[in-house]
Amino acid sequence: MNHTGWGARPTRDGSWHRLKKDLGAWLIMLPGLALFTFFVWLPLLSAIRMSFYKTEGMRITEFVGTYNYAFILYKDPDFWRAVQNTFMYTLWSLLIGFVVPMALAVMVHETRRGKSLFRTGLYLPNIMPALATIFLWKFLFRADGSGGVNMLFQQLGFAPTSWLSNASLVIPVIVVIMTWKGAGATMLIYLAGLQSINQEIYEAAIIDGAGVWGRIKHITIPQMYNLGRTLLILQVIAVFQILYEPMVLTGGGPNNASVSLMQLVYRHAFEYGDYSKASSISVLVSLVLIALTLVYNSISRPKEV
Amino acid sequence: MAGKKNNELGVLRPYDFVKPSVKISYALLIAFLVLALLVALMPFVWVMLAGFKDQREFIRGLRHALPEGGVRYIPRLLPEVFLLERYIKTWNDTRFYRYYLNSLIVVAGSVISALVFNGLLAYGLAQLKPKGHKLVLGLIMGSMMLPATTSLAPLFVNINRIGLSGTFWPLWLGVGASAFYVILYKNFFEALPDSVMESARLDGCGNLALFFRIVFPLSMPINMVIIIYAINGTWSDFLLPYLVLNNAKWPGGAPMETVMVRLFSYQSSNQATDIDIIRAIVFSIIPPILLFILFQRRITENIVASGIKG
Repeated sequence: MNHTGWGARPTRDGSWHRLKKDLGAWLIMLPGLALFTFFVWLPLLSAIRMSFYKTEGMRITEFVGTYNYAFILYKDPDFWRAVQNTFMYTLWSLLIGFVVPMALAVMVHETRRGKSLFRTGLYLPNIMPALATIFLWKFLFRADGSGGVNMLFQQLGFAPTSWLSNASLVIPVIVVIMTWKGAGATMLIYLAGLQSINQEIYEAAIIDGAGVWGRIKHITIPQMYNLGRTLLILQVIAVFQILYEPMVLTGGGPNNASVSLMQLVYRHAFEYGDYSKASSISVLVSLVLIALTLVYNSISRPKEV
Repeated sequence: MAGKKNNELGVLRPYDFVKPSVKISYALLIAFLVLALLVALMPFVWVMLAGFKDQREFIRGLRHALPEGGVRYIPRLLPEVFLLERYIKTWNDTRFYRYYLNSLIVVAGSVISALVFNGLLAYGLAQLKPKGHKLVLGLIMGSMMLPATTSLAPLFVNINRIGLSGTFWPLWLGVGASAFYVILYKNFFEALPDSVMESARLDGCGNLALFFRIVFPLSMPINMVIIIYAINGTWSDFLLPYLVLNNAKWPGGAPMETVMVRLFSYQSSNQATDIDIIRAIVFSIIPPILLFILFQRRITENIVASGIKG
């Protein structure tokens, strides 16, 4: 009898055997598949379906076609405000969030002593619970003198500022907080990239008389370019999903100046109880994210995940 | 890895340091990194020190009696006195241990669920490979690109519909459907030597026995990574626990809220003073800090290997 499994030939006996084996395999995968269905796939499909229906509480009542989308796109001023804010979040996170981890990685890579101290210390904020660190920063950015940042400002001789209730400051401040939390992890990925640069390239450049700047300009930066491009898109994808920061720090305010797309989803679903509007916004955001992911995949193709 | 030491070298070589300009730049670089390190760590120091103050000292600063009479308040980083009793009092008064216990129950169940369900699914995808497994893999990878918030509303509706709201079940089982863990497991299982599997199979091991007796014990490195991620992820998780456990009670009437849910309710309900919230923040970050101290190398190395942020 053929029971070695792995390379069974599809003989008449073998195909029956194969079927039995497949069935056993599916049984083993069944619990996991059931959970994926309940927690991931089904909700995703329901979200698409709900976006074309009217809902009352948790009940789907009638088919309304693209009404919800039309409402969101033409009649919901919050939506365009959130799109505009997302654009500002992205812009600021490119100015601050993109450059900081890259610069940190290049610098940490050069250190001759204490490298692991810098790596570990700079990474620490990343493993902290998001909600706890946001509360922490809410205290730090308090408008009165008890806020840590204003305390520091007063020591340095500046006047205290009301950071989070200033419409033009609130998004940069949120991006600073996100960068504080996320930069360490991105830095580690860049560091790994830097360590994989072939040392012989540097040696050869030195023999050719390249100075320190020459080496950075012609070797380090070009080598980081690909990684940077990939991480840039991952960062934009992350920015599209901002939720906790504006929800906890500002509630989206002042006057919707920091409201994010995902926060609108949350508001529609759990504050206004309108699941269909929430679903249509999340479908729109998902379409953008799918497009971004496709771009990401086409760029990072050579490197298997 | 061979030559690892060599790869630790940066752009600068020892002989570059004969130039004064390089020496000065290097000193500036170190100064800048020390500053960055301070920025990264100061918030933690600040919150821990602030927790030692009382409410009045926290809001107004340190009281100074002026020589000409009257008082002045000066904001200061250090508390006037270090009384650990103040932390303990908040811990007891707010009964914070209850939320700790709830969080621990959620974490424990989630870790088991993360290991068993994701592990079995990945085992099927990586080793058993039944007809059609590629489609499943595609669906799992595909779901990774969409934010969890997208499906949150319908998920919440479904959880309510089958009556699991107000229980820990959705939180435990939800971790069993993690695309990230499945991919981590799958990549690891694919690298396991076939010879071991085959000989176990010849010994008459069924698939399930093979997984629990051979595959799982052989996968300790990746199990540890997933345990660490799952502990940290579940401890920090907020949105689904908030929706599911908000106002839920144990049979005896004690709240079922986790630490993060409690933290959020504090701010929306105005039932705690600033200083109580500050101390609650400290309580909530202690377990992740301990976890990080214990598994520091594993965590930082795996971030790189997986290339995905937590």
